[in-house]
Amino acid sequence: MVSSTSEIFQPLFDLFVWLGILVGVVVIAIFLIVIFKYRDRGSKTPEPEDTPILGKVPEERGHPRSVVISLALSIVILTFLLNGTFAVIDTLNTPPSGTLNVQVNGFQWGWKFVYPNNYEDTVLRVPKDETVILKIVSNDVAHSFGVLEYKTKMDALPGRTNTIWFIPKDTGEYNIVCFEFCGVGHAYMKTKLIVMDPAEFQDWYSKVKPAEAEHPVQGASRP
Amino acid sequence: MSEEHHIPPSYSIKRWLFSTNHKDIGSLYIVTSLYFLFVGGALALLVRVQLTVPNNNFIASSAFNQAFTTHGLIMVLWFLSPFAFGFANWIVPLQIGARDLAFPRINALSYWLYLFSGILLLMSSAAGLPDGGWTLYAPLTTLRFTPNLGLSLAAGGLILFIVSITVSSVNFITTILKMRAPGMKLMQMPMFTWTILLTVFMMLYAFPSLLAGTIMLMGDRTLGTMYFGSPQGGSLLWDHLFWFFGHPEVYVVLFPAMGAIGDIIPTFTRRPLYGRKYIIMSFIIVALLSFGVWGHHMFVTGYDPLVAKIFTVTTIAISLPFDIIVIAMIESLVKGKVRLKTPMLFVLGSIALFIVGGITGVFLGSVALDYALRGTYFVVAHFHYVMVGGGVVALFGAFYYWYPKITGKMYDEGLGKAHFVLSVIGFTLLYFPMFMNYEMPRRVVTFTETQWAFTNYLSTIGGFVFGLAQILMLYNFYESSKTGAPAGSNPWNGFTLEWAVPSPPPQNDFDVTPRFSEDGTISLPGLGAFANGGTHTMSTAHAEHGIMESHLSQWPVALAGAAFTLILGILGVTLLPTASFIEGMLYLWILLTGFILGGLGLYGFAKEKFVSFEDEEAEGWPFKHVARVRMGVWVFLASEVILFGTFIGAYIFIRAGTLDWPAINTVFQIQHGAINTFILLTSSFTAVMALVYSKRESKAGVIGSLLLTIFLGLWFLYNKATEWQELFHEGHTFDSGVVMSTYYITTGAHGAHVIGGLAAMTILIGGALKGRHMGEHGSENIHNFGLYWHIVDIIWIFLFPLFYLI
Ligand code: HEM
Ligand SMILES: [Cu+2]
Ligand SMILES: [Cu+2]
Repeated sequence: MVSSTSEIFQPLFDLFVWLGILVGVVVIAIFLIVIFKYRDRGSKTPEPEDTPILGKVPEERGHPRSVVISLALSIVILTFLLNGTFAVIDTLNTPPSGTLNVQVNGFQWGWKFVYPNNYEDTVLRVPKDETVILKIVSNDVAHSFGVLEYKTKMDALPGRTNTIWFIPKDTGEYNIVCFEFCGVGHAYMKTKLIVMDPAEFQDWYSKVKPAEAEHPVQGASRP
Repeated sequence: MSEEHHIPPSYSIKRWLFSTNHKDIGSLYIVTSLYFLFVGGALALLVRVQLTVPNNNFIASSAFNQAFTTHGLIMVLWFLSPFAFGFANWIVPLQIGARDLAFPRINALSYWLYLFSGILLLMSSAAGLPDGGWTLYAPLTTLRFTPNLGLSLAAGGLILFIVSITVSSVNFITTILKMRAPGMKLMQMPMFTWTILLTVFMMLYAFPSLLAGTIMLMGDRTLGTMYFGSPQGGSLLWDHLFWFFGHPEVYVVLFPAMGAIGDIIPTFTRRPLYGRKYIIMSFIIVALLSFGVWGHHMFVTGYDPLVAKIFTVTTIAISLPFDIIVIAMIESLVKGKVRLKTPMLFVLGSIALFIVGGITGVFLGSVALDYALRGTYFVVAHFHYVMVGGGVVALFGAFYYWYPKITGKMYDEGLGKAHFVLSVIGFTLLYFPMFMNYEMPRRVVTFTETQWAFTNYLSTIGGFVFGLAQILMLYNFYESSKTGAPAGSNPWNGFTLEWAVPSPPPQNDFDVTPRFSEDGTISLPGLGAFANGGTHTMSTAHAEHGIMESHLSQWPVALAGAAFTLILGILGVTLLPTASFIEGMLYLWILLTGFILGGLGLYGFAKEKFVSFEDEEAEGWPFKHVARVRMGVWVFLASEVILFGTFIGAYIFIRAGTLDWPAINTVFQIQHGAINTFILLTSSFTAVMALVYSKRESKAGVIGSLLLTIFLGLWFLYNKATEWQELFHEGHTFDSGVVMSTYYITTGAHGAHVIGGLAAMTILIGGALKGRHMGEHGSENIHNFGLYWHIVDIIWIFLFPLFYLI
């Protein structure tokens, strides 16, 4: 797994996919069997006794039992899924105290990353195995910052600061993509996330880093 | 014109321009919406061609964006709902044994407004079609980022469209609640009528939110207000307004299709629907819950995590009633005699596709998964499975089902089955691969990733297969309308009342109104019961005599044309600052024409003697003793409340984010607001006086009180105008920030309602001068106007403290 976010996404997604396939296949199979079994075979199939006829409102039929059973089954499955969802979302919403805070600026059409030392770049370099906290803003219209392989994203909206966090678990290059339509350049609003070995990262960061100490990111926050 | 009781023949242009008969209006809706289906489909194919292979250069990004945006707008708004309402127009009156809708001329007006709104949308292509996505996300859609006129034209079209939807909803609600055949209980209504009833309720209360949002957007684009260009409003405000409408809209396009399924299944399985009661209950629950799930479209906007959890729960909960519906529909087949004719094939296919769409919807309801899936092709696949699979495919089934009724001819069964098979194959090739592209961002003009190449390739092939299949349908219906075998009145052995009249039904549908008895037996007084197994149907000969209703009016199309011209004129006026003299005169002339046409139209509409079908014994539980127009006014006013509720909601949203809101009595002077409150309250009193006098048949009293009310209304507007002028002088103009934005747009919309009231009173006075509107019965119009006027006053009572006192 390439990041903390994809690590927690994948099992939940798999759970949904397998349960979804299970339910879908079972229900559609029953559906097809019923259609096949009760298809009209001319005189071989008797006319049902309660056939609705013109001039008479059809009788009500149906037993609450089947409603209750199918509801109960669904509730069991959905509770499962809800539990999984809540566990994941709580994790996503509580960033551990981060070691690297980067401000992300979305604009038409590109990304700008501002490091704690005010160093600015158009690609995002982060160290492996450290918590990265991103403060996401937009300079113009709505964008959505997402790392394709990390299975996470967050809107970049003008006038608001949104936060996401992740821990990169593997070095390499990943794709940063805009997930909210933002005009003619939307499809090209891409850049790279480069995950480096911590030592290498420190080396790089100290070279771009001015002498002064780290200071917190200044986001354009809501008035 | 209305003295003519017989509709001109079908080759007459006059018929198609002026007919108010529900069947003609239904046909107009069906044909127009099919036209939009093919326009929207062509745009979708453009999109698909561009995405066939990676790094494709078939069309430019700007064209691509216009294509998918207009595709989405057309398919959801200008195709799907109007298509469903073509059938609703045709079938609902027949199913409930009414001879037409409650307000036939208003019905024609809805259609013409719809057509003109579509023309506005298409006209925008001259200036660049809208290109911000069908969701019109702000602030991309503000003038700063989308300066072209095309979006303004489309927004104007959207406003007309919403007006059309609103009046049409009022019409259907009144019809279904008040005009059922004597004795027909709500629970005895066929499923299609049930879902149409719930659909129009959802439309009536969801669309005002979009209307308010569009008005704000137009204000931003033309006057320079700051709803969406400011951080206090901005993206989030639009998201809330749009999706409060947008989610119910999903069910608006789905419900009529499911209702048709509910009538088609029993007909083709020869057994009553299983668990009908539970299905109806589930539909009602969905309709209510649909207003409480919109937040699932905003999971990654960074709003409060607790709110996100609540929306996750409501969204997942809404899948439960659907679970009941689908299971009940499957159980309905058990021990039946399932006849696999084309309508049934489409219906069964639609259920299967809807199951897939519903299951994947649960994925998107989970906030945790949404972090990954939001904005990807997974979403595109999901909503096409629901809207096209669940909605359109079933409506095609409904088309085959009711085609013999509408045309009197049988379609070609072989071609119908071929259409079904090709559609399902095309559909699956088109949309299933999109689930596998659950990483690929949507709304991108091209992509470089080779792992998405094969799936996209399949999608494009599927798109063409699906598109060609639809041409087969058109061909089948066109050919069969000329050469098809005569269908007879009840080709499917259907059990609902539309099958009791000849195909196509005579002008007045039912010669005698059917009657429902306690045990569910339906009879035709004078013609006996449908005794032997429902074979006794009405004959054309019977149905042709005793026609007394009007079916023609030239005013609906004139009024809709006026509205269209007015919108063009208003848009033109906003261009004045940069227009040349000639252009300027032209715009002003268009505006003036719109006003004159509108005035004439209203006058003609009000004056025309139009006899519509009214049955004293019609079943109207629980509103039996409420007059029909009164009922319509009530329902309409409820939607007005939502409209202003939305403006007030936007105000609260913006105010919560604005720290430097002006202190009391600095910008807005209390005395201005207080005087106007006093004036309006007094005018409510004089409106009541008019009613009292009219019941006492005092002509002078009625005219006097109405004149007094008009005077007070004018005084209110005069005060408002001076206040605006002062504010302008102090530099508080339209474009001076969010405070003034909310003030001008909210009180401006209210002022427009006051003007509407003045126009209504002028018409009432005209009638009163001729001695109308008097007595217990005649006072009805004055009473209805009074209700409107009181609501306008009550809204002001909310606005006054919001702007002046706190
Ligand atoms: C018949 C009913 C249909 C409905 C109700 C419908 C609805 C929609 C909507 C609402 C959108 C979103 C537009 C936006 O992102 O602003 C959309 C996008 C799209 N539709 Fe359809 N559609 C229909 C048929 C089709 C057909 C027949 C095709 C293919 C031939 C198609 C292909 C697409 C594609 C490729 C997109 C673009 C997705 C994106 O870039 O995000 N649709 N459709
Ligand atoms: Cu973008
Ligand atoms: Cu929704």
